Amino acid sequence: MTVALSLAIVAGVLAVATVLGLLLRSRTGRARVVPSKVSDATTVADLADREAFGTAATLLQFSTPTCARCPATAKQLEAVAASKSTTTTTPHGPARVRRLEIDLAERPELARRFDVMQTPTVLLVDGTQTVRARFGGPPRQPELIAALDAVLTEEHS
Amino acid sequence: MTTSPAPSRGIDPRSPRFGAAITTVLLALDIVLTLNDGTRTIGIVLLAVIAALFAWGGLAGIARHPYGAVFRRLVRPRLGPPAELEAPEPPTFAQRVGLVVTGVALVLALLGVPYAAPVGAAIALVAAFLNAAFDVCIGCLMYVWLVRVGVFRGRSSVA
Repeated sequence: MTVALSLAIVAGVLAVATVLGLLLRSRTGRARVVPSKVSDATTVADLADREAFGTAATLLQFSTPTCARCPATAKQLEAVAASKSTTTTTPHGPARVRRLEIDLAERPELARRFDVMQTPTVLLVDGTQTVRARFGGPPRQPELIAALDAVLTEEHS
Repeated sequence: MTTSPAPSRGIDPRSPRFGAAITTVLLALDIVLTLNDGTRTIGIVLLAVIAALFAWGGLAGIARHPYGAVFRRLVRPRLGPPAELEAPEPPTFAQRVGLVVTGVALVLALLGVPYAAPVGAAIALVAAFLNAAFDVCIGCLMYVWLVRVGVFRGRSSVA
């Protein structure tokens, strides 16, 4: 094999990796809205105690020990949940929006059940513990807020 | 269950990416070397060196990797402090994935399997390049895939 051909092969491998990288980058953190009122709506009510969920919405994060961005995402969700809960009229009651984090290393069966391909994966859950949107990778803040507001507004009407 | 593992022994997240950039160059060079008859032996030796470096990072921990020392001495002083520190477990696990890929390729190449070395180097190159250029850690994602297929049952101990 010539040196030129082997260099072309290296360039080809790097081109494939670049396409893959651009694809992953464009998709990560985007909101994928789960249509409401579908018969097979996913419920997460069995994953934790009732009190662990927000009364209006819950930001459920799946993490793993080998997840570099999970701690930062946890902080982001905590801040969003806190900012959305302060508008509540009952400051001492149960929080409207809560953050919940589950380590998939402790509960591996959930990875298959919720089809988790990467961590963090964030599920936006409404007041009835039904999944309304999901984010693969650290959620993009504007899309997270928009999806959360949609669930919260519906709660009021 | 409600908290992420705190990055108490946090590392500069740019350090593993710097290392991945060096690994990218070495793997690209290795593909060229192992594809050409005259340099195949040197290419196999380089693959063994790359595998040994993965073993160092994967077994001793990413914080003790020689590239990390180079980063701290030569690169870090030219950059500002990192915005945030990251846990060392994910890149350490990714180093182990790199060790398995290059290790298997090395063994197959030594057994005489044709193109084992350049194919293994190409797989590792894609992962290293994605890490260096796009900050995507394929090795870290593989942990989730292993969880899905049931490799880990209950509490697992990584790093």
